[in-house]
Amino acid sequence: MIQRQRSLIRSRSLATLGFLSPGLGLLIVFVAVPILLTAWISLHQGSMAIPYSRMRWVGFSNYATIFEQPIFRTALLNVFLYSLANLVIILPLSILLGLFLYQAQVYGRNVLRTVLFLPYMIPTVAVAIVWGYLYEPQYGPLNEILSWLHLPAQGWLGSVYEAMLSLVILNVWQTLGYYVVMVVAGLTEIPQEYYEAAALDGAGWWRRHWSITLPLLRRTLAFVFVILTINTLQVFDPVYVLTQGSPVNSTDVAAYEMYITAFNYGQAGLASAMAMVMLAIVLVLSLLQLRLFRSL
Amino acid sequence: MSVYVKSYRRHSRGRRWLSLALQYLCVALILAVMLFPFFWLLASSLKSPEDLEALPPVWWPAHPAFSSYRTVFEVTPFARAILNSLIVTVCSTTGILLTSIMAGYVFAKHQFRGKNTLFVGVLATMMVPQFVMLIPLYRMMAALHLDNTYPGLILPNLANGFGIFLMRQFIAGIPDELLEAARLDGASEWTLLWRVVVPLLRPAAAALVLFAFVFQWNNFLWPLSMVYSPEMSTVVLSLNGLRTYTSSVTFTNIVMAGTAIGILPSVLLTLWAQRYFIEGISLTGIKG
Repeated sequence: MIQRQRSLIRSRSLATLGFLSPGLGLLIVFVAVPILLTAWISLHQGSMAIPYSRMRWVGFSNYATIFEQPIFRTALLNVFLYSLANLVIILPLSILLGLFLYQAQVYGRNVLRTVLFLPYMIPTVAVAIVWGYLYEPQYGPLNEILSWLHLPAQGWLGSVYEAMLSLVILNVWQTLGYYVVMVVAGLTEIPQEYYEAAALDGAGWWRRHWSITLPLLRRTLAFVFVILTINTLQVFDPVYVLTQGSPVNSTDVAAYEMYITAFNYGQAGLASAMAMVMLAIVLVLSLLQLRLFRSL
Repeated sequence: MSVYVKSYRRHSRGRRWLSLALQYLCVALILAVMLFPFFWLLASSLKSPEDLEALPPVWWPAHPAFSSYRTVFEVTPFARAILNSLIVTVCSTTGILLTSIMAGYVFAKHQFRGKNTLFVGVLATMMVPQFVMLIPLYRMMAALHLDNTYPGLILPNLANGFGIFLMRQFIAGIPDELLEAARLDGASEWTLLWRVVVPLLRPAAAALVLFAFVFQWNNFLWPLSMVYSPEMSTVVLSLNGLRTYTSSVTFTNIVMAGTAIGILPSVLLTLWAQRYFIEGISLTGIKG
């Protein structure tokens, strides 16, 4: 019996090790080690091709360089504006649509949910391609629709002032459904009794949601807030496909700047420094998220 | 409870009718906005060059032409790209499923020192942007001469923090008594996992397979960095190439036909299994 117990324990700890090592091993080799290497390269001068051993130590001068050159500062500012604009549009819209989907008695609610969610699952590159043609100033349908409403034609992606907003609209269309689903999930956890009690006390629609839904949805909204920020800070695909940062750097974002610095100009050191700056920003946001969750 | 619900909902019939009409209007509006790009994609793929150049734009071609769907296979190795995407996607999805089930089981049901720290580490990998790892990963693959190959495309995607997290959440819900009973019957951990745990995991595994499939199929950044020959191109990469090389508006139908084919797997999977996707999102979004 004791022997059997012992062999059981041994088989369990062997299983612990054996089951864990493929997944963790791959994550270490393809995530953890590359992050450390990026950090290491960011402190060295080097092109994409030269071996690690021949890279020259330059300390933090790569970091100084990327912040001295206006281009990365512009890219950072652009991506912050992009995130902010997405946040301002998506957060209220996802609450409204979430409430609507959760409460609506109308036929077709499930169809609506699926249709909202669908763009989130298709390739961003495909979304960018289709929207590129929608935005087409001459042959595209958006300016045609504007003309029906007697509104002037817009430059969309070709205009310095509108290109970023065009990318924001594209992203709102693509990802709104994902955040709506999160809000719906959050709403299902609010006990219905609260609403019934409030209704008995004579609270109207607005009052019920302001005093019950929003406070009880805090956790969900904090989550949406952070996920949305982290996702939008990484925007790359639509910029690469549609604008390449143009016109006049108005859509140049950090991930795109990092990519061309590495793969078009071959400056691995500078690009790694940019990547580390972005990682630091995302990490700080994630820590903020943990704090938020604890305090909520 | 239903008594209460009825007692406070004393709308007049007219108001209820108005509210319902407004709701239907909202639904119609949202559906129109959401579906319009899909409509434009389909309509443009069926247009002739004259339709594409017409001003004002043609909404639906008078004579829909399917020839662009054939042309896209003639102007690029699109069939090969589909095959490449399938190989890469199926291999990495299988890998993610295996590694996630095994690691998720350990994190859910085994006790060992440092488990929580390790799990937090796994969760942390979910938050790291893909482009942070890009340069070392590219150099790693180039050094191993795996750039522009299937292993190069597949290897970095065989394990996934999200998958491990998802599986842990589901396996934690399986009662310990069930596992203990199997252990008393003399089952090894290996048979326990595959005979007892995995059969109970079907919904979670389906959700993970769908997520991993769609993620890999849609992935752009890694193939863009790694692949340099048309024969190794994935579907998404080919779509970008198509768009880049066909600046003339008269070729829009070909790009759109390729795009329609390229999004088809994601669309079909989503329609077929949106329940699982939405469950998966709810799970990661709220609990945990």
